[in-house]
Amino acid sequence: MMKRNELVLGDKTYRDVTNDILKPVEEFPSKGWVGMFLGAKALFLFYLISIAVVIGTGMGLLGVNHPIAWGTMIITFVFWIGIGHAGTLISAVLFLFRQKWRTSVARTAEAMTVFAVMTAGLFPLMHTGRPWLDFWLFPYPNQRGPLWTNFRSPLLWDVFAVSTYATVSMVFWYIGLVPDFATIRDRAKNKIRQTVYGALSLGWRGTAKNWSHYEMVYLLLAGLSTPLVLSVHTIVSFDFAVSNVPGWHTTIFPPYFVAGAIFSGFGMVVTLMTLVRIGFPQFKDYVTLDHMEVMNKIIMTTGMLVGYAYGSEFFIAWYSGNAYEKFAFINRAMGPYAWSYWVMIACNVVIPQLFWLKKFRRSIPVMFVVSIFVNIGMWFERFVITVTSLHRDFLPANWGMYAWSYWDTAILLGSFGMFLTLFLLYLRLFPAIAIAEIKPVMFVGKDKKHGGHHG
Amino acid sequence: MSESNHDQETPKVPKETDNRYWKSLEQWAGDPEFQKMVETEFQSSPLREESSSEEGWARREFLKLMGASLAMTSAAGCMRRPVQKIVPYNKQPEEVTIGVSNYYTSTYFDGAEGLGILVRTREGRPLKIEGNPSHPLNKGGTSARAQASILSLYDPERLQGPKRLLQNAPQKNVKGEITRERRMSYDSVNTVYQEADEAIVKVLKKGNVAVLTGHLPGPSNRQVVADFAQAFGATHYVWEPLSYDDIIEGGKAAYGDASVPYYRFDKAKVIVSVDCDFIGTWMAPTTFSHQFTSMRKDPKTMSKYVAFDSNYSLAGANADVRVRIKPSQQLDVVLGLAHEIIVKKSQTRFAGNASVKSALEPFAGAAGKLGIDAALFERLASDLAANRGSSLIVAGGMVAQTAHARDLQVAVNFLNSALENDGSTVVGGAGMRSLTGSQAALENLIEAMEAGKVTTLIIHRANPVYASVYADRFVKALRKVELVISTADRVDETSRYADYIMPDHHPMEGWGDGEFAAGVFAIQQPTIRPMYDTRSFGLTLMTWGYIADQGPKDFKSLETYYDYVRSVWRGDVLAKAGKGKSFDAFWDEALQNGVVGDTNPANGGSARSFKVDALSGIKRPAGGEYELVLYPTVLFGDGTTLANVSWLHETPDPITKIVWDNYASVSIGTAEKLKLKQGDMIEIKVGEKTAKLPTHIQPGLHDGVVAVAVGYGRTHAGKVGNGIGLNAYTLATPVKNGVVFSGQPATITKTGSNYRLAATQAHHSMEGRQIVAEATLKQYLKNESAGIHKHAVFSLWSGHAYNGHKWGMAVDLNTCTGCAACQVACQSENNIPVVGKKYVLQGREMHWLRIDRYYTGDPVNAQVVFQPVMCQQCDNAPCETVCPVLATVHTSEGLNDMVYNRCVGTRYCSNNCPYKVRRFNWFNFTKNIEKPLHLALNPDVTVRSRGVMEKCTFCVHRIKAGKAQASLEKRELKDGDIKTACQQACPTGGIVFGDLNDPNSEVAKAFKTNKRAYALLEEFHAAPAVRYLSKIRNNDQETLGNDHGHKGGHA
Repeated sequence: MMKRNELVLGDKTYRDVTNDILKPVEEFPSKGWVGMFLGAKALFLFYLISIAVVIGTGMGLLGVNHPIAWGTMIITFVFWIGIGHAGTLISAVLFLFRQKWRTSVARTAEAMTVFAVMTAGLFPLMHTGRPWLDFWLFPYPNQRGPLWTNFRSPLLWDVFAVSTYATVSMVFWYIGLVPDFATIRDRAKNKIRQTVYGALSLGWRGTAKNWSHYEMVYLLLAGLSTPLVLSVHTIVSFDFAVSNVPGWHTTIFPPYFVAGAIFSGFGMVVTLMTLVRIGFPQFKDYVTLDHMEVMNKIIMTTGMLVGYAYGSEFFIAWYSGNAYEKFAFINRAMGPYAWSYWVMIACNVVIPQLFWLKKFRRSIPVMFVVSIFVNIGMWFERFVITVTSLHRDFLPANWGMYAWSYWDTAILLGSFGMFLTLFLLYLRLFPAIAIAEIKPVMFVGKDKKHGGHHG
Repeated sequence: MSESNHDQETPKVPKETDNRYWKSLEQWAGDPEFQKMVETEFQSSPLREESSSEEGWARREFLKLMGASLAMTSAAGCMRRPVQKIVPYNKQPEEVTIGVSNYYTSTYFDGAEGLGILVRTREGRPLKIEGNPSHPLNKGGTSARAQASILSLYDPERLQGPKRLLQNAPQKNVKGEITRERRMSYDSVNTVYQEADEAIVKVLKKGNVAVLTGHLPGPSNRQVVADFAQAFGATHYVWEPLSYDDIIEGGKAAYGDASVPYYRFDKAKVIVSVDCDFIGTWMAPTTFSHQFTSMRKDPKTMSKYVAFDSNYSLAGANADVRVRIKPSQQLDVVLGLAHEIIVKKSQTRFAGNASVKSALEPFAGAAGKLGIDAALFERLASDLAANRGSSLIVAGGMVAQTAHARDLQVAVNFLNSALENDGSTVVGGAGMRSLTGSQAALENLIEAMEAGKVTTLIIHRANPVYASVYADRFVKALRKVELVISTADRVDETSRYADYIMPDHHPMEGWGDGEFAAGVFAIQQPTIRPMYDTRSFGLTLMTWGYIADQGPKDFKSLETYYDYVRSVWRGDVLAKAGKGKSFDAFWDEALQNGVVGDTNPANGGSARSFKVDALSGIKRPAGGEYELVLYPTVLFGDGTTLANVSWLHETPDPITKIVWDNYASVSIGTAEKLKLKQGDMIEIKVGEKTAKLPTHIQPGLHDGVVAVAVGYGRTHAGKVGNGIGLNAYTLATPVKNGVVFSGQPATITKTGSNYRLAATQAHHSMEGRQIVAEATLKQYLKNESAGIHKHAVFSLWSGHAYNGHKWGMAVDLNTCTGCAACQVACQSENNIPVVGKKYVLQGREMHWLRIDRYYTGDPVNAQVVFQPVMCQQCDNAPCETVCPVLATVHTSEGLNDMVYNRCVGTRYCSNNCPYKVRRFNWFNFTKNIEKPLHLALNPDVTVRSRGVMEKCTFCVHRIKAGKAQASLEKRELKDGDIKTACQQACPTGGIVFGDLNDPNSEVAKAFKTNKRAYALLEEFHAAPAVRYLSKIRNNDQETLGNDHGHKGGHA
C-alpha cells in the first residue's frame, strides 16, 4: 500500500497542537488581524447603509428594470449560497466517506458555509419590493383565512431550502465546536472567558459518555446534512428551471447548479485557506500543501463538470428545436452581454485547467489567483444566467439592458464586508481547526521512521 | 393621529380662542385647572365610577388605553396609514351620487381637430375623457391629446387669477431708444377685475384694437369676437402655428375657393397621400382615422392606400405601400401621376388638353426620378384612373408647406378634379369652418403693430412668441403697443409680455361650442366649477362691451357667456340645424347628445370647376442634398397647448418610440455616410439658422431628409414641459403669404458629442418570430389565415372552468393605426404614474398598455407594424404559479387579478411573463404627484405604492360597474355594456372586448369565426384571452416579400 503523506507535519505533541490552534484565540490579536477587521467592518457598515438607502428609497436604485426584474441581489444570493456548499461537502460528505484529510479544513470550511449562507439569506429578503412584508413568504398561522403561501412557487421552496440549510449547517458546525470550546474553557485564565466559553461548551466534561453521544450526534447530523448539499442548490436552481424563461427553463439546472456550487465553494475555501496560512503561519503544519492540492483537484474536476454543463446547454438548445431557447443561448455567447459569458468561460473552464500540472496544484500563489478567478467566474455565471436570459426573451419589443448602478456595486462589494467581518471574528474567537478531531489522525507517540510498526 | 394634535397644545392657551367672551377670570387668564374643569364638565365617563380612588384608572379605561397605545405605537412604527377624514356633502347636489360617475357631453378642440367627447365626472370633478359615440365626426373615438387634456385642467401651473404686469413701461434712454426689456413681475389683480376692466376699457376706447386668436372652434366664439370687433372697431387676426395656408392658397388658385374642404376617406377606395399625415396630425386625424379604417375592416373590400412620405409619419406607417421621398419630390409624385393618367393613358376629361399636357410634360417619368419601380407607379395610376370619384389624393400639413406648397395644392386639386373626386371624396365649398388661420395674418398684424396702428392687442389661444418664425419681430413690435392683454392660462412665452393676463377658463370649466365640420354643431359644456378666479374669454370681451356700453345688444347686455352661447344657438344654429324644433327642445337635445346636425354635404357637395391655367407656371423644384423636414408630432401637435402634460411626454412617439425629446431623424444611409450613431449631436444649418440636435436613425427615411419635430423647446410651458428638446419653429423661413417649413436645403455637421435619447423600445425587428402576423391581400384572398402559423398545442390538465362570464379581447391589427390614444386613455383611467426620462432610460416606464412597433422588410425602406400589448389575461397564466404569496390569482371569469395589498414585490411574475406586460413600482411614484394633479386620479382604481407589481386589469372596475348596472336594471349583461378604456378611446374601433361565453358577442365571433385571429405566442400555450387579427396589406404583391425583418436590427 502506498504510504500517504502525514496529515500533520512537524512532529507535534498533542500539547503543541492545542497551543498552535488556540494561539489566535488566546493571544492579543495581531496588527494584521486588527487592520483587516477594521477594513472589513467598515465595508460591512457601508453595506448596512447601502441596504438602508436601497430599502428606504426603492428597488429602482439598483439596475433591475423591465424586462430584467432580477439582478444583482439574486445573482449575489446564488453566488453566496453556492459558496456555502463546499463547507457542508467537506464536513459532512467527506466525514461519511472517512476522508481523514478533511479534519484540518472542515471547521473553517463549515464556518465559511454558515457565514456565506447568512450573507446569502439576506438577499432574497432584501430584493423584494416591500421587504417589511417578507414574513408573508413564510407559511405562519394567520387570520387571513385561505390566503396563505403558494406552495407551487419555487420561491417558497427556496424559503424552506435555505432556512433548513442554514439551520442544519449551523447546528452541525456548533456541535463540532463543543469539545473545543470546553478546551478553551479549561485553559481560560480569566473569569469572563471561562464563563463565556463554559456556556458555549454546554457543560462538556469530556467523559466517555459525552464522547459517545457526541460521536453519534455528529454522525447523524452529517447524515442529515449530506442530502442538503444536493437539495439546496437544486431548489435554488428551481427558481430558474421551473420558470418559463428561455435560458432558465432547462432540466440540467439542478446538477449543473450543484456542481457549480461545489466548484465555487472550493474556490472560496482555497482563497480563505491560503490567507489563513499566511495570517497564522503555525497552521501550515495542519493545512498542508497536500490538503490544498486535494482541493485543487476538486476544483478542476467540478470546473470541468460545469464546463460540460455549459456545452450541454448549447447542445440541448439546438437539439430542442425551440427557436426561443436557441436564440437565448446564441445571444449569450454573441449578444450584447457576450463579454460576461466569455469571462465566465475563461474563469470557470479555462483557467482551472492549470491544475493538470502538479507544480501549479501545489503552488500557493497560483492556486490563490486561480481561486479568485473561480470566484469571479462563478459570480458571472449567475449574472449570465439571470441577466442574459431575461434581457432578451420572447417579444423583441421588450428587449432591454440591465441598468447597472452605483448601488449594485455597493451591495455586491458590501456583502463581502459582511462575510469577511464574520469570518475574521470567527478566526479570532473560535478554534479554526478542530482540535479534538485533528488529534486522532496524528501519529503522536509512534515512531515515524519505522512506520509505527513497533508502536 | 391628527385629531390628537390638539392635546399637545400648551394648556395655557384656552381652547376657545375667542377671548372676547369669558366666563371667569380664570378662563380669561387661561388657568389650566379651569381648563380641565371645562373640558371634563360633561365628559366624565360613567365607567369612572368603577374606580375606587379618584386619581386611579378605571380598569376598562386602562385596558382601552393600553390597547389604543399599543395600536398607536405599532401604527407609528410603520407610518403607512396617515389619518384622512372624509366628509359627506352637507347638501347633496342634484344628480350626484357618491361613487357613481356622471357623464357630460362636451367638445375638445386642439386648434385644428374638434372632437365630441363625454366627460366622466365623479363627485363633481372631471376624471376621464371618452369619445362621444353620437358625434358624426369622431364617432366615439378620441386622440391621445384629447385623452391627455384632462390633466391640463389640473395643471399646477395654471394661473389662478388675472395678473397685471408691474413696471410695464419700457425703459428708454435720452434718445428715446428702448434699453431694457420689460420686467416680468406680476401683481395679482385677483378679486378686482373691475378695476382692471375699467382701465382696459379706457385704452380700448382709443381705438386701433387688434385681436389675435388661434382657430376658433365654434359659432359663438367667432360671433363674440365679431361682436367685439364691431363694438370697438377691432381687427381680428386668425393665426395658428399649423395653419392651412397651402390649402387655402391652392384652393384660391385652383377654384377661387378659399375654404378648407372636408375629406371623405370613408368613400375613397384608392388613397394617395403626399406628405399628408391625415392619421396623425393633419386637420382631423381622429375623424380621418375612423373614416380610413372603416374601409379596411373587411379586408376583402379594403381600400388601397399608397403614401409618399418625407418624414416617417403615422399616415406613412399605415400605408399599404409607403414610398420614401424628400419634400422637393412632392410635385413629382402628384403631377407624375397626373402625367401617367392624363398624358400617357389619355384618361379623364383633361386628356388631350394641350395646356395641361405642356404643364405636365416636365413630370414625365416620375417613377425614375423618385427612384421607385415604374410598374408600381403605373399600377397606382391605373388604380386611380379606375376609381374615379372614389379615390382621393391628399397633400398638406407642415411637411408639405414648402416653397412650392401652393403649386402642390394646385396639383392635388387638379388631380382630384380630374379624377372626379372633387365633390365626392373632397367636399369643397364649406368644409372645415374653423380652419381659417394663416401665417399671413400674423405677418399683417406685426406690420400693423410696427406701423403703430395697434394700440390694444388682445391675444387669445395664440403663442406667437413660441410657435412662430416671426417671434423676434413680434416681441419688438409689441413695444409699440400700448396695452397687451392675454387670455393664456399661464405666463407663457407670449403672455409674459402682456400687461394684463386675464386667464380664460379651461375648456372643461366654461361654455362654448364647436362647428368642426360644416353643419355639425356641438356644445362645450362645463363639467366643473371654475377651479380658480378665471373668466371666460367671451365674457371678458362682453364685460368690456358692457362697461363701454358699445356693441350689439346681446354682446353688451347678457350677463354670462352661457347666455351668449344660447343666444347664438337660438339664432344662427337653430336656423341651420334646428329642423323646426323649439329652441328649448333643440338646446336640450344638443346638450344631451352633445351634437346636432350631420356632415351632410348639401352646401358644398358639388364639384368645383378647376381653372386649368393655375397649372401653368408650376416648375419642378430643385432639391438640395439634404432637405429639412419639420413636422408636428402625433402627441403634441404644434406643442402650444399640452406641453406641460406629463402623460404625453411619457407616451412614446408612435414611430420612433422615443420619449421626452425631439431629435433630428436621418436615414440609415445618411447615418452611414456621415458616420452618425444614435444620439450623436449634429448641427443642422438652414440658411443662416442653426440647430443642434441629437441624431435619431430612422429606417425608411429618404437619404436626402433630415426631419425635426416642432412643438418642443418650450421655455415657459411649466415645470414638466420646459427645456425639452429644441424649438424647431425657428428653423422655418417666412415668405410672402406663408412660411416655408419644409424642403429647405440644410447641411448636417457632426459635432462630436453624444446625447442619450430615451426610447421605450430598443429592438425593432421581430427576429423572424410570429408576433405581428401579416399577409398581402392576394394571400388573404386565397387563404384567410394567411400569414398565421398555427401550432399544435395540448394541455396536460383540463384547465379552468368558466361558468359565468369569460372575458376576452380582440385587437384588429389591420385597423390599429398606432395613434396611442388607447395608451393615454389607459394611463388616465388606471392612474398610471409617469416616471420621467431618467427612468425610461433605465427601463422603468409604467404603461399597462404599450404599442409595440416593429419594422419589417428592408431596413432602408422599412415598413411598420403596430401591436398594442396589454395583459393577455392568460388561462394558463405563468405569473400565477410563481408568486410565493398568491398576490396574483385567477378569477372565475378568466381574469388574472393582481392583489396589490398582498404583493411583496418578488417580481418573479414579471420574469415569468412571456409578454412582459407587468410593471413594477420601483419607487413611490404616486406620492410625488403634485397638487392638484392628484384630482385627476380615478377613485375607482387603487393607486399603487412602492414595491408592488401592477398590470392591465381589463378595466376590472368597469366590468364590475357594468355588471352592477345590469343587475340594478334587473337584466342580463349585454354585449357592449362594458367597454375597456382602451377600447373606448380607439378611434378606429380596433379593440373589441366582451364575454367569450356569449356566443353572439363581437369578441366571441372574433375568436371563433374570424380566420385572421391568432394568439400571440400561441405555441407557448399560456392560452391568452386576447386575440390579434392579422394585418393585411393591399399592395398587389403575391407575398410580403420580406422575411419579417431579420435584418431589421437596431436602429
